[in-house]
Amino acid sequence: MANNITTEASFENQETWAGGRSPFNVSYGKLMMWIFLLSDAFTFSSLLVQYGTQRFSNVVTPITTKWPDPASIFNHFPGMHGFHLPLLFVSVMTFILILSSVTMVLAVEAGHRNSKKEVAKFMIYTILGGLAFLGCQAWEWYTFIHEGARLDGNTFGITKQGYEHLHSVSFGSHFEWEVGDRTFGPVPFAALFFIVTGFHGFHVFSGVVINVVVYIMTVRGVFERRGHYEMIEKAGLYWHFVDLVWVFVFTFFYLI
Amino acid sequence: MEFYNKPGDYDAINYIPHTESHGTKELWKTFWLLLGITLFDFMIYFVMPTSGYRNFIFIFFGLVKAYFIVGAFMHLKHEKVSLALIILVPTIFICGLIIGLLYEGSALEVMKSI
Repeated sequence: MANNITTEASFENQETWAGGRSPFNVSYGKLMMWIFLLSDAFTFSSLLVQYGTQRFSNVVTPITTKWPDPASIFNHFPGMHGFHLPLLFVSVMTFILILSSVTMVLAVEAGHRNSKKEVAKFMIYTILGGLAFLGCQAWEWYTFIHEGARLDGNTFGITKQGYEHLHSVSFGSHFEWEVGDRTFGPVPFAALFFIVTGFHGFHVFSGVVINVVVYIMTVRGVFERRGHYEMIEKAGLYWHFVDLVWVFVFTFFYLI
Repeated sequence: MEFYNKPGDYDAINYIPHTESHGTKELWKTFWLLLGITLFDFMIYFVMPTSGYRNFIFIFFGLVKAYFIVGAFMHLKHEKVSLALIILVPTIFICGLIIGLLYEGSALEVMKSI
């Protein structure tokens, strides 16, 4: 079949975009995961753009609509009531998410070696990390709501007096809101916090669900029969994206 | 290049992707880098007073962390350049939108106080 051989040879020399092969050298599923993540990046970008615009339009005057200082609000740590500990708890959350990202990528690496046992082990670690993060976020939300934040209201406008009070206390010493410190601040502060971290938390939740499904498939030997562990890579892409979004949420909501 | 190079090879369910392990060295290096940057951010937060420079440092290191997550963890560094470009180029426009709307937000602030 000389004819057949020539067609195969000419096919191998075909140009990238001539059809019949993946121009990006990735499988359909992985490419679609990338495209989905790009559209998800647009979703989060639009939320963060809105946050930035609202924040920049509520900076200085009048004092009652001033954007609250995140350090004065997210300053709690479980089991350490009454201390002014800004950024500490979110840093722990960030550490948990980075760690679960590493275990995920180790699962992907174990999948490349077709090691079912190691994939299952690292998937369990990743799921535990995700659940720990969700628990932390639930606690964060509980504290924030407990202090009076609502989707349609915000009790965290800080007066000039409160601002001075806040900055007079140093790291680790007692800080509590006093009546004179508080005014009603801009509503988008609490609303956007709930929407953006809620959206991110929902992504973490769905990531955990995906990871659990993939873990069960691994343990039942679905990928072993299939001959490759690419599904772990796809789940991993999603999980790392969730970590990536957290980097920006952490930067814009807590650091700045 | 190893897959889909023969007619009839493309089969979404039964295809075997070309996989090879690059080892865990790079991954752990990335982990320590991410952890180090986060700790550095944490330190800067308490050492430096609030200012535009401090915000610039935070955003810069946020982008550095994003580079390492996308490049090493999501493996984009080792994919084809064309794939990396279709994913990364649209995000440049997002950056443009952010900068533009931050300026507009500042303008709104001035308008509100009039």
